[in-house]
Amino acid sequence: MLKRAQSNSVVSNQWIILVTLICLFLTTTLAAAPKKKKKAPPLNLPPLKTQEQKMQLLGYIRQSMPIRKIARRISFSSADLDQALEQQLGPAAKSLTKIIDDETFIRRVYLDLTGELPKPARIKSFLSSQNSRKRSILIDELLETEAYARKWARYWTSVIFYDSEANKNRISPIALEDWLTEQFQKGAPWDYITVMLISATPQRNKAVRNDYGQKFGPNNFVLACENKSTELASQTARIFMGISIKCAECHDHPFDNWKREQFHELAAFFHPSTYKMPDPDDPTVKTTVKPRFLLGEKPYETMKSDARRVSIAAYLAYNPKNYWFARAYVNRVWSEVIGDGFYDVDSLGPDSDVIHKPVVNRIAANFRYKDFDPKWVFRLILNSKIYQREMRTISSTSELFTAVRPSRLRPDVVAASIENLTGEDKALNKEIMQVFDMNPSLPQGSLEGSIQQALLLMNNASLQSKLSASDLKKQLVAISADEELVQELYLNVLARHATEQEVERNVNFLKESTQREEAIDDLIWVLINSTEFRTKR
Amino acid sequence: MQTDALLHLNLNRRGEISRRNFLQAASLSVAGSTLLSQFQLNAEELKKEGRSCILVWLAGAPSQMETWDPKPGTPNGGETKKISTQTAGVEIAHYWPKIASVMNDVALIRSMTGKEAAHERGTYHLHTGHRMLGIERFPHFGSVVAKEIGDPHSDIPNFVSIGQTLSSGFLGVQVAPFIIDRPGQLPANVFNNTPESRQQRRLALLSQQENDFTEAGAETLVKEQTKLYQKANLMMKSPRLKAFKFDDEPANMQQAYGKTQLGQGLLVARRLVEAGVPFVEVRTGGWDMHNNVFKGMERRAPDVDQGLSQLLIDLKQRGLLEKTLVLCMGEFGRTPKINARPPVPGRDHWVKNFNLLMAGAGIKGGQAIGKTDENGQEIVDSPVQVDDLFRSMCKAMQINADMELHTPIGRPIKLVENGQVIKGLFG
Repeated sequence: MLKRAQSNSVVSNQWIILVTLICLFLTTTLAAAPKKKKKAPPLNLPPLKTQEQKMQLLGYIRQSMPIRKIARRISFSSADLDQALEQQLGPAAKSLTKIIDDETFIRRVYLDLTGELPKPARIKSFLSSQNSRKRSILIDELLETEAYARKWARYWTSVIFYDSEANKNRISPIALEDWLTEQFQKGAPWDYITVMLISATPQRNKAVRNDYGQKFGPNNFVLACENKSTELASQTARIFMGISIKCAECHDHPFDNWKREQFHELAAFFHPSTYKMPDPDDPTVKTTVKPRFLLGEKPYETMKSDARRVSIAAYLAYNPKNYWFARAYVNRVWSEVIGDGFYDVDSLGPDSDVIHKPVVNRIAANFRYKDFDPKWVFRLILNSKIYQREMRTISSTSELFTAVRPSRLRPDVVAASIENLTGEDKALNKEIMQVFDMNPSLPQGSLEGSIQQALLLMNNASLQSKLSASDLKKQLVAISADEELVQELYLNVLARHATEQEVERNVNFLKESTQREEAIDDLIWVLINSTEFRTKR
Repeated sequence: MQTDALLHLNLNRRGEISRRNFLQAASLSVAGSTLLSQFQLNAEELKKEGRSCILVWLAGAPSQMETWDPKPGTPNGGETKKISTQTAGVEIAHYWPKIASVMNDVALIRSMTGKEAAHERGTYHLHTGHRMLGIERFPHFGSVVAKEIGDPHSDIPNFVSIGQTLSSGFLGVQVAPFIIDRPGQLPANVFNNTPESRQQRRLALLSQQENDFTEAGAETLVKEQTKLYQKANLMMKSPRLKAFKFDDEPANMQQAYGKTQLGQGLLVARRLVEAGVPFVEVRTGGWDMHNNVFKGMERRAPDVDQGLSQLLIDLKQRGLLEKTLVLCMGEFGRTPKINARPPVPGRDHWVKNFNLLMAGAGIKGGQAIGKTDENGQEIVDSPVQVDDLFRSMCKAMQINADMELHTPIGRPIKLVENGQVIKGLFG
């Protein structure tokens, strides 16, 4: 966690000078008043070698942000969110879908916050609870579980590593996942997490084979980018700002304002020494480029590279004009839980492409006021009506957010749902992860299923034999009343009760079968192969 | 979609089955042997008449100076030498002796010029014919071919890719690439031991379950999944599955293609084309040679040289080359000037001029189209735009390049926006 304002040591004076300096730069560059160049006096920086030292510096910068003073007086509730959104929706608000029932809610919120299905007993107790606040109590409860932290750690790890070309021996996705899990569980603020990732300076330990510092979780963002300045620049913009500027490496952005030079100035931030931009026509000709952040902020001239990485993190998180930072996080979480984003999570073109911009900007601003508390965003969205609406496939932008989009479950969630029924099977788990693989940064609307997925769920031999010998199967075989059997089946596989129609249909199927056990296998097979099984409804 | 319509029609002739139940319909139609044989007949016909395409994709962007446009003896030329080929007057880089020996069947385009110098964007442009702009996702050319030429009732996919590739974009899963990782093996999980009657009962119950979910609001997902299950079920029974394996190839055939991932991939590609699959992509990576381009070329080129030349020989011997377009290319070219990157220099991204190889499907072999200046930095003759290339690909595949594709919201987009067929490419 961020240590805030514990100025008891001797070095604190030095720190304060430094912080004032950095803040000065923030404010002067923001004012963008071009002043006459004076030669910068040497800057006596305390050592910034360890992460703790970096964090301490950051803590001071954060403390002095003007934003904190406003924060206490502003509130933004889920009801405010609904109101703001409905206002934006205009005539489309007529097509808002209904609020979901408790059973749909508990499945949805379990999937979103834990990546697991609720157990039958939990479903039943939730349904029978008379507490009018039970939905929001459940949200709070799940946000404190390890499963919540793990699920979202896994998500961000996959965002960071999905397109990484780094050598597998030099990275450790699991170390990153574990570290993120720890952070999410203790409620670490998003700026702190971001800064830890961006400012990491992993060192290779040559004494040990393949030790590139990957065991230390936060080193892995930089390692995923192979510590390349250009990759760090484009991934920082993509993941933490939701801006796609990769193409500006070679030429001015084709449909946005980013210039090629801006990209390289950003890359220069991450370079250990002097950064040189290659000429687009002749790579042997190179021009020196000085680090400059996207909004024009320049680091202190004599700053060393590790301090520069802290400062870029500070520009990213604490410059209130950098609305991209808070908004990128909000938009990613929103896309995951609602099924559509205000914009495609990592390919934002011009800002005018943002749909219902005032709404996402307000959430983002309040996220900042709330000290970038990740759980605050979940509470806000999950308690809102928009999250608790019935699903419908959204086909045009005017319909966005009038319903929740039925979303494909991520590979780890599909694998967990299967494992929940079959028990552990490493080979099967691996196969599911591969066959159901999806890019976490693509919008749900552009994901596709495949024939291989159908073949796996229909035919995979170990899946079929495990299901046939599963606890669920035994449990079902032991039930003699058909209707009760069908209800148990639906509760265990789809985490909901069967409808009257479904009961009738399945009971008939059982009755018409000569082989009861085989018929039960068939019923399990049908639910596993149903679209609903791998969909968040 | 077309499939639904056709299926719908077929089944209405038999009576009572509604459009919604087309999963059930599909399974019934498989059981109905008349229809099945009708499908097979269609496939046979298409095999006779239709065109096919094999795209050999060199991911990472191969250097034009080290492939079909070497410039030895110039400051930019580096260590690469040139060799003469079967065609008098056409010389290529020395890494490619086997391609040189089949040059009479090959056309080289030395004056390609593109717009995208980043891998993802270049790959997209050269696979779809469109630049990555805005939110539309254009289909892979293979998906367009699958839609236009492929038999919609085919029991194996109309588009197979050996290695990951782009998606079918807004054309949807009906014509999406079926991706396999290891050539020479049957697709995983393609068999089960369930008796047919039991499988039918399961599918019938599943289709009812799916209807409920459609009504609950998940129509699009259910539609897609239904299509996929229908295709999967057809595939499980397909006699053409054997095209994925080598069991019935003579012993020396695998050897001739080269016992490499790429060589075996190309052999599967030929088998699939022979079985009536209209589009196959075979991918091989490692061409992004920012460093050490000459050594890198020595390592990478032999597999392609062997496999691709054998593919051309094999297709020709089987009389398939005249109906099969073979393309070998990457997403752009590489800087004519050698960079100064430590430890060993290579070449960076370059899109102003690059080259590629085409053969078959009416293309006149034994020629090199276009010309670059002596340092390889400027095109001095017949520049070819990506649009021109796609128009030529369409011509080879007998697809109308001016046809309109419709995005999900119904916006019509021309398959190829501009350009003209490359002059002199076809005989």
